[in-house]
Amino acid sequence: MNDLSVSLSSAASLPPHANLPEAPAKVTARNLNFYYGENHALKDINLTLGTNRVTAFIGPSGCGKSTLLRIFNRMYDLYPGQRATGQLMLDNTNILDPRLDLNLLRARVGMVFQKPTPFPMTIYENIAFGIRLYEKISKSEMDGRVEKALRGGALWNEVKDKLNASGLSLSGGQQQRLCIARTVAVRPEVILFDEPCSALDPISTAKIEELIQELAEDYTIAIVTHNMQQAARVSDKTAFMYLGELIEFDDTNKIFTSPSDRRTQDYITGRFG
Amino acid sequence: MAVQSDVMDAAGPYDRAKALSAFKLGDTTFYWVTRASAISVLLILGGIIISLIVGAWPAIREYGLSFLWTQRWAPSADPPVLGALGPIYGTLVTSFIAMLIAIPVGIGIAIFLTELCPQWARRPIGIAVELLAGIPSIIYGMWGFFVLGPFLADSFQPFMIRLFDGVPILGTIFAGPPSYLSLFNASLILAIMVLPFITAISVDVFKTVPPVLKEAAYGVGCTTWEVVRYVVIPYTRVGVIGGIMLALGRALGETMAVTFIIGNAFRITGSIFSPGTTISAAIASEFAESDGLHQSGLILLGLLLFFLTFIVLACARLMLQRLELKAGK
Repeated sequence: MNDLSVSLSSAASLPPHANLPEAPAKVTARNLNFYYGENHALKDINLTLGTNRVTAFIGPSGCGKSTLLRIFNRMYDLYPGQRATGQLMLDNTNILDPRLDLNLLRARVGMVFQKPTPFPMTIYENIAFGIRLYEKISKSEMDGRVEKALRGGALWNEVKDKLNASGLSLSGGQQQRLCIARTVAVRPEVILFDEPCSALDPISTAKIEELIQELAEDYTIAIVTHNMQQAARVSDKTAFMYLGELIEFDDTNKIFTSPSDRRTQDYITGRFG
Repeated sequence: MAVQSDVMDAAGPYDRAKALSAFKLGDTTFYWVTRASAISVLLILGGIIISLIVGAWPAIREYGLSFLWTQRWAPSADPPVLGALGPIYGTLVTSFIAMLIAIPVGIGIAIFLTELCPQWARRPIGIAVELLAGIPSIIYGMWGFFVLGPFLADSFQPFMIRLFDGVPILGTIFAGPPSYLSLFNASLILAIMVLPFITAISVDVFKTVPPVLKEAAYGVGCTTWEVVRYVVIPYTRVGVIGGIMLALGRALGETMAVTFIIGNAFRITGSIFSPGTTISAAIASEFAESDGLHQSGLILLGLLLFFLTFIVLACARLMLQRLELKAGK
């Protein structure tokens, strides 16, 4: 019990929005199941992502956190043999509806990946590209949107003089913020972060965490992380997953100070995982 | 620290040096063997160029630069008149048309195979394309002569000729009469022959695109076409162009199939449905019964083909560099 209080004292002092009211639901999962072929990867997931809230997903490797995230924008559809059952609502849209326009869904639900994934084009084009898919706007308007997105990604000051350099010429942390800016530029409603800092140094990580909290003012955010301090720092709600099940889902404060499930407690105190 | 150096001494630095020296010999041998292999390539290349120049010398002295723009090819005249314009024109035109057909089709097949094709159909189609590369060129020649040529002359060519009759420029390009042996037929055969190169290399480089990069593009809402157009192809540009250049090199130098179906006419007409010749086809069809100045002229043609290929490859390199600069790398 001792080490629990020690490791949690640091986390408990940090949560940003300690006493936020319940937010209206943005994404709701009911009895969500997922299969990789025969492998039953997610079992009866029920949860709600609150509008303009940050929800963190923690759990040991292979517990299904990333899998769950990839259902939110139907990324699993790219691969044969993967399927989801149950219900997953984005406002009043059923995400699992096979007739759903996937391009539209992915414009509403943006995603930032574990490794930075700048497209093989200039910094400017990396941002303008996504916008151009949906909107026909003039050059000057586009310039404004690109600048706004790059500011949104906290990258503007570093790249404003080299917008025509390749996106690949940036450092890892900058590339990741470029990807966030690119995601924001499309004006999604939900942003999914799949371990966005695991390939980054501590300073870049801090910048991105700060950014995530700023983004929460305008977007609903889901973040998968292996770093429990990170979950404690950035999220309002935390979901602990284990072996494809959602073990506990509650306010971040509560999860990190007085979890109700034994397994959650064991995990956040580092007894396994 | 002291303990450690004692241990080193006990093991004997002498032994270790001796053991290493055995490797060193192997290393040196390896270095020289690989170096010799690399140098031999340069020697062979140099030898070929020199022997070509030596063989072509009488013709160079006789005709000089006018060889390049003389259209008449009359080796049995007295004195023989030799001009390379016809073969050069034929080579460039057939290769150009072949690439015009093979590039979009080849890349299209590659995109279908890597991005769209259901899993079960991938292998059969992939293997079929590779088999296309394995068919000997003489078989393409025979097929072109007996099957494709008559088919084109009876249906496709008359259709095109009627379609563009009276249209300026296009009317000249697609002018009659239909012919079993023509520049266009040769181009079509060439396109089929180089297709597997473009497809195989494109498939290989398309597979190197990290899945997460494609996911990111799908993640901002791209359609498959947009992912391919803006992410996959730019990411693999260098490799794809490499494949195209390999194909172009093959098209420029392809001999047997072309000799069969191009008609071996040195006269240049505006129509791609008329017979023509290429450098390699001219050499292949005349070299056996040539002598003296005629033979020297044919060798000079070979030297020209050599330079032509070299220039094309150099241009490709240059284009690649410009592309990379434009992409801001």
